[in-house]
Amino acid sequence: MKKTLMMIALVGALSAAAVFAQGSGESGASGSTKNYTFGGSSTVAPIVNSAIPVFEDANPGVKISYETLGSSVGIKQLQEGTLSLAGSSRELKPAEVDAGLVPTTIALDGLSVAVNSSVSISNLTMDQLAAIFAGEITNWKEVGGKDAKIELIVRDETSGTYGSFKEIVLDSRKKSPSVNAIVARENGELAAKIASTPNSIGYIGMAFNHIITEAGGKVLTVDGVAPSSDAVKSGEYPISRALYVVSKGPLQGGVEKDFVDFLLSAKGQAIVLDSEFIPLD
Amino acid sequence: MMGKGLLSSDRARSFKERSGRVFLLLCALVSVATVLLISLFIFQQGLPMFGDVPVSQFLFSADWRPSGDPPSYGIASFIYASFVVTFLSLLLSTPIALAAAIYLAEFAKGRTATILRSSIELLAGIPSIIYGLFGIAVIVPAVRNTFGGNGYSLLAASIILAIMVLPTIINVSEVSIRAVGDELRQASVAMGATSWQTISRVVVPAARSGIITAIVLGLGRAVGETAAVLLVGGNAPIFPTSPISMGRTLTMNIVTDMSYAEGTHMSALFATAMLLFVFILALNLVVVSISRRSRMEA
Repeated sequence: MKKTLMMIALVGALSAAAVFAQGSGESGASGSTKNYTFGGSSTVAPIVNSAIPVFEDANPGVKISYETLGSSVGIKQLQEGTLSLAGSSRELKPAEVDAGLVPTTIALDGLSVAVNSSVSISNLTMDQLAAIFAGEITNWKEVGGKDAKIELIVRDETSGTYGSFKEIVLDSRKKSPSVNAIVARENGELAAKIASTPNSIGYIGMAFNHIITEAGGKVLTVDGVAPSSDAVKSGEYPISRALYVVSKGPLQGGVEKDFVDFLLSAKGQAIVLDSEFIPLD
Repeated sequence: MMGKGLLSSDRARSFKERSGRVFLLLCALVSVATVLLISLFIFQQGLPMFGDVPVSQFLFSADWRPSGDPPSYGIASFIYASFVVTFLSLLLSTPIALAAAIYLAEFAKGRTATILRSSIELLAGIPSIIYGLFGIAVIVPAVRNTFGGNGYSLLAASIILAIMVLPTIINVSEVSIRAVGDELRQASVAMGATSWQTISRVVVPAARSGIITAIVLGLGRAVGETAAVLLVGGNAPIFPTSPISMGRTLTMNIVTDMSYAEGTHMSALFATAMLLFVFILALNLVVVSISRRSRMEA
């Protein structure tokens, strides 16, 4: 008897849940939901995609989607009116500024280069870095270190960190990344592997310098500049760039302005940090 | 009056029995439904990829550059790495596991047996991420110092896997060795055979199908393992040329790119999962057919 009762109770609870779920779904649909489509840079995507659910919770009836298209396609579709806000990891071209597009900086992107403590050098130039990660320089003695094979440690291909490093360091020098590298899936794993693999070198979001040093690795200067938020803001540190959202004309009210304001708020900047980028202060 | 009461209580009882049985059946169906849903989901997500990438390129190209221009989705290196890692790990673990199973089934007594059994159980219960960390701290440096390279290698992954599949192979083999009838042992000893001859010529051959099942189950575990090999295999998407070169297995590939992948790249990961799924399914069919054949022989 007990079992039967339990079953009835279970079935009752399930059907009640189903009814409620349906009910709430309907009320959501019957409300005045407005859809917004943003899109563009894949580097900006993790920030915006983490910000969207939080923003939607605070603004019922607003649905936002972000299409990962790449900065240039995003900016083009913004001009065409397909998107109402575009994410960009590059500066606007003069023609785009003339067309009335307005960029707002939402975050800074800077990468540190870290090595195992067995590596004797403390600085690399951008050209040396590019050659090392393209697999053209494979021995530390070619850049002034001891005679030992360079062990590359990189991030997975779909991570923003991989994308940023490739675009800032390699693409500009028309080089492609070497596949002969240990692939780490997250910053912690990368830091642990740099610390434990002799003669290794890797890159990591600048916000994570401390986990490199805590694990026992060493952060290099690049072109003689140490990676720091200040050096990124002043533009001295070379592996850096700003991330923008671009709007068609200055933002005046509307969900787009609210969303950008949210990104610039303390909560939004915390999401920036969570997404492994440097917040603006 | 009396009869009526009896009848209604009979009816109530049979209703209770029947509803109880239906309830149990529903619970049993949950697992069947889950398997069906999972396979449906994987295939639904994975199949669209073949609209963009030909099957031959997917299976036979060793070029995996999902963010390249144009992108390329070839998983031949990963199939090969999975094969090598699985084969090597079984090569390392089977002799040890078999010997341990024989010892446990034929010789171990009292405290020794208890301690052995509980440590093997413990081995099975350790989360795979712990094996991975152990691998980074101990196996990788050992491989680096012994064989050269950076240590992150198919060999390191195989060693970790060999340890991980030990409990599976030991437990299933031990059960099947125990199941060999005592009359066989007695007959063998009565013929003047030593205990080594009895074990190697009579007991182990008689437990053959169970031992093969054990190895196939271990194989399934090795093919499917992810977290531990991910940490020690190097994960470079290259075609491994030796056991000490880095490599990426099928499971590693799925996990590595899953977080941010989209579009064709995402369905390529699901297609990788499809292949893995079909492979595991085939292995299970092998196990089923072995145990059916041995039952028919018995």
